Amino acid sequence: MGNMNKLAAVAQIKWLCMSQNTAVVIGPFMVIGMVWGFKILYSSFGPDGKLLPVMMAMLLNLGVTMNICTNGFLMVGTAIAEEKEKHTLRVLMTSSITGMQYFIGSILYPFVFTVVINFAILWVSGIDMSQVSVPVFFLVSVIASLISCVIGMIVGICASTQMNANLIGYPLMIVFMMVPILGNMSEGLRRISGFLFTGVVTQMTDCFANGMEYKIEALDIAVLFGELIISMLVFLVMYRKNGYEKD
Amino acid sequence: MEQNVLLQLSHISKRYKTELALKDINMELHPGEILGFLGPSGAGKTTTIKIITGQLRQTSGEAKILGTDSANIDASIYERIGVVSDNSGIYEKMTVWQNLNMFAKIWRVPRTRVEEVLRQVDLSEHSKKQAGKLSKGQKQRLVLARAVLHKPRILFLDEPTSGLDPTTAVEIHKMLLDLKEEGMAIFLTTHNMEEATKLCDNVALLYQGEIVEFGSPQELCLKYNQDKRYQILLDDRKEIILEQTPENIRKIAEWMEKDQVQCIHSCEPTLESVFLQVTGKTLNAW
Repeated sequence: MGNMNKLAAVAQIKWLCMSQNTAVVIGPFMVIGMVWGFKILYSSFGPDGKLLPVMMAMLLNLGVTMNICTNGFLMVGTAIAEEKEKHTLRVLMTSSITGMQYFIGSILYPFVFTVVINFAILWVSGIDMSQVSVPVFFLVSVIASLISCVIGMIVGICASTQMNANLIGYPLMIVFMMVPILGNMSEGLRRISGFLFTGVVTQMTDCFANGMEYKIEALDIAVLFGELIISMLVFLVMYRKNGYEKD
Repeated sequence: MEQNVLLQLSHISKRYKTELALKDINMELHPGEILGFLGPSGAGKTTTIKIITGQLRQTSGEAKILGTDSANIDASIYERIGVVSDNSGIYEKMTVWQNLNMFAKIWRVPRTRVEEVLRQVDLSEHSKKQAGKLSKGQKQRLVLARAVLHKPRILFLDEPTSGLDPTTAVEIHKMLLDLKEEGMAIFLTTHNMEEATKLCDNVALLYQGEIVEFGSPQELCLKYNQDKRYQILLDDRKEIILEQTPENIRKIAEWMEKDQVQCIHSCEPTLESVFLQVTGKTLNAW
């Protein structure tokens, strides 16, 4: 009960901090706005003002992977870096909050947001929902969002300032976002993309956009769970070495 | 461990690679006592606090806090102690009330206690104000309010008035003395010897990681008061300093009989000069 109390308090602190950070609040709406804008733009190329499947695939890939990467890598990472910068992280850690409570409290809202906004992107894109397997989309969305939040925690551990978090987070974002998107243009990138969790997400949205049935394969499951485990292990090793803040 | 010993350090040493940061530190802290760790920057004050509060592991020796070895403490110890470091931050975008209320939730402290602490630090009027808009002194009072919200048995203060103006520093001193009256034990690190003299029951003079003197400020000052001297201001505004010799005593008595003395002070050393005598270094020269 006491632990839940502390967890709820950390999550609430994080929520208040994030909700007062304009860049963080605008981010998800920008992704939704971008999807909506491109939908209108791309529609003009299609027959009867409808999106071509290839355009729909591009739209979904861009929206979903951007949402997963920005919310996870940047929202989580910069939030921890901000606490370091403002000297509030140590205050929290010397107020009886455990590392695990801080971890869960930090990723709770970004994780929920990411999953919810992924569904919002589906809706805004105007995709025929009969082409979408909602349980599969939910499962892949949840795992991918979790991985990105854990990577965000790693970014937060490495960064000492918000600027620093952006410097670390953006290159990661470009790799995880652009490699799957550009995979359609290069065979090499497509192969690499198959081993990225965001690559699994784009494969799935490609199938939905093209009206094909998406069957999650063993390699996809291995990539998703493998990268989740690897990111958790990297986080744990770094946390055990220095905690959230190196002395 | 005695029942009323809240904190006990026995032969604590800390080594960073080749540098010995703390050497054989011994001390005890009791309820209602303010213990000052006085030393220049880099003397080992913050390292000591970090070892006691479990943020850092000592190389050798034993630190017991509230009866538990600091090597075995976990995050729950912070439910019974309060920590204020020289750069303890506040959530600047939240209101004063939110800043305290969040921690009240962590420690399961009732709202009435938040209101009480706000009154104590004289911030009730500002409870709805964004914390970032408070003055420096008000921010420091908020930090202190947060640290005592859960009524800790020991309060650790690392340079609590560093960078504050004298008026605010006095306000903080008053608060600390009130907390001491309530029975809270306070472990204070400072390089401000006036602050230490005013607040502390006992001080440890720390130099290069070693306690070079320990005792009450008065004891230490008297111990090093070897050449007794008196500063006298006479009616003609002439200020003189006389050593304690039979001849000077007669002279002073004569002036007093003639009512020519405006004021007279004994010239015992300050903690600053004691530190200088013991180490050959000044506290503020670092």
